[in-house]
Amino acid sequence: MRRRRWSHAARHAALVAICTLMLLPFYWVLKTAVTDENIYVYPPRLLPRDPHPYNFVDVWYLIPFPRYLLNSALVSGLTVAGNVVLNAMAAYALTRPFPGRRWVLLLLLSCMLIPFQATIIPAYLITARMGLLNTYLGLALPMLSTIVCIFIYKSAFEAVPRSLIDAARIDGLSEWRIIARVLLPLSRPAIATNVILAFIWSWNSFMWPLIITRDADMQTLPLGLARFLSYMEDTTGALYAFVVMVLVPGIVVFLMAQSAFIRGLTAGATKG
Amino acid sequence: MAGWWESRRTRQTALVACFLLPSLAIFLLYRVIPLGWNLVLSFQSWSPMRPARWVGWENYEELLLYDDVFWQALANTLIWIAAAPVAIVLALGIALLVNSDLRGAGVYRTIVFLSYPLMTVAVGIIWRWMYDERGGLLNWALRSAGIIDRPLGFLGSFDLALPSVLLTDVWQVIGFYMIVLLTGLQSIPIHLYEAARVDGVPAWARFWRITLPMLRPSLFLCAVIGLLNSFTSFDLVYVMTNGGPGHATELLITYIYKLGFGQTRFDAAAAVTMVQFTLLLALTWLANRAAGGNAGAVERD
Amino acid sequence: MSWLLSRWVVLPAAMAAIVLSWNLWVATHAGGVVEGRVVDAAGRAVPGAEVVLYGRSFVTNDERQRTRAGDGGIFRFTGNASHALQLQAEAPGLGRSERVTVRLLFRAQDTRLPTPLRLEGAPLRIGGAPS
Repeated sequence: MRRRRWSHAARHAALVAICTLMLLPFYWVLKTAVTDENIYVYPPRLLPRDPHPYNFVDVWYLIPFPRYLLNSALVSGLTVAGNVVLNAMAAYALTRPFPGRRWVLLLLLSCMLIPFQATIIPAYLITARMGLLNTYLGLALPMLSTIVCIFIYKSAFEAVPRSLIDAARIDGLSEWRIIARVLLPLSRPAIATNVILAFIWSWNSFMWPLIITRDADMQTLPLGLARFLSYMEDTTGALYAFVVMVLVPGIVVFLMAQSAFIRGLTAGATKG
Repeated sequence: MAGWWESRRTRQTALVACFLLPSLAIFLLYRVIPLGWNLVLSFQSWSPMRPARWVGWENYEELLLYDDVFWQALANTLIWIAAAPVAIVLALGIALLVNSDLRGAGVYRTIVFLSYPLMTVAVGIIWRWMYDERGGLLNWALRSAGIIDRPLGFLGSFDLALPSVLLTDVWQVIGFYMIVLLTGLQSIPIHLYEAARVDGVPAWARFWRITLPMLRPSLFLCAVIGLLNSFTSFDLVYVMTNGGPGHATELLITYIYKLGFGQTRFDAAAAVTMVQFTLLLALTWLANRAAGGNAGAVERD
Repeated sequence: MSWLLSRWVVLPAAMAAIVLSWNLWVATHAGGVVEGRVVDAAGRAVPGAEVVLYGRSFVTNDERQRTRAGDGGIFRFTGNASHALQLQAEAPGLGRSERVTVRLLFRAQDTRLPTPLRLEGAPLRIGGAPS
């Protein structure tokens, strides 16, 4: 028993050390965001002195932060809506027997092997031909439906007892009503997973917006951040205030839906 | 005609087609067609200003024979991929620590995982600041401890830039590896361990004989994630060093971006993309073999 | 009605409430009024001192307004549209004050200087915004 307690204490100590290492960068940035320290000061102070919120005010006004936020929110909203609806439709179709079903499944599974980043050159050319450069739809389109999420929906739909659906069909419910009244309410965890994965992916997405936006007016938050960095380098607390403001929504959403997020990622991983 | 439409089967098929079409169109447009176009483009000489002309293997020849940056980027990408096993071993250690009846294991898990879902651009900026010569925590810690007596410019140095960016990448993805391994650990039936304990098998042997073999599928997944990571690390490199100094941190993916959108050499960029994609497929196949084939196999119908 | 208590309802609702009340607060306190006093080196009020208001552009501070202090050395600007401003007072024979930086929580926030602008009475260094 005594040995066991010691081993527990050692584990806690190791984990606390690891967690400290993981959290230190956050602390360092937060500290810089609320003080006026900059690259010309050595040694840096470990604790923030005279913390103040004015760097955040600067970010709000000096950079078109509200505009970036609006763009990011619109693109994320579009992506989330697209994923929830289109993926559910595709997944429902895949649970029905139809000719060529095997081929469609095979196509989806092999598409999963193609990382989106490997297609940027033609993807850019295609988007340009469609005239969608510099538009919200163009920003959201490649992520409007994701294969991983289709499979998450599919397994949720398949877990719904067959008898329930048959009973609903005998009662004369149309296909649409079966989806809306029976399948979707029973697959709430799958919906949550779709929402959070789509949100996090589009919120963080950088390379695609970088390629297809031209106007400063269409830039999303990650682009704004990179642009601010190129103006100001590391000289100012405002940059780190910007970082904090961009990270907070992601962290909040993640903490609120942690289990759905992890379920989605591991489910996606086991299928790809 | 009405009879035809009334047929349940037809209506069912029409419904399925309507439901599948939007998603399939997106995948066709952004996965299948681009891959094919990439392949075609890599054998052409083309840019938005010139009409396309077939040149056979010329793009590849130029890359492989004359392009030093390409080789540097390829080497860096391979180093990047080779760092994944190290990170996976570390993650396995953390997963083993967390996976027990430890109090507060959930909190530890959340904290370790927290860095993964964050915006990579922001992570890059955070770590630029950590590495900073004066305001950075790392230089301060090293100098206070007396290990170095002058500040190190981590990201500006030819030798240190790549390991520094790589460390940041590990910091970000290690939580994901841990979660995958943890899921694997929790799916190992507990009675295996109990039986081994009754038989007097020592702890380290239990680890080698039970835990590791049972974890194979999860380890394979981690390896694939590590491979894909060489594609997705574009954001990090772009923000932290943009490939520099020189091309010390150039990855294939950043080189593709520079060729395509910096120099409008879409044809050369397509050739590099094909090289990286082939590399990815080959390494995935190897990892699958190493994991005993068919590990993490896709579901079959 | 249990869904009303779920965190997916409570947290967004709380955030919406905070944003709404913050905006109400901002709307009612954004008159662009900047008030303060000017005193000389001995601490006596200086009526008639000239006060300059600089507003923050991206990285520089540009002059936006001038006014004169009235009775009791009290001055008042209206129509300030900046969120970070600097104030400096000057009176003939009494010299200049330091440039005082005032940072506001939002644009045009009504504000009052906590400490008066103190004329130093000595020839001063040129420019040089204190940070």
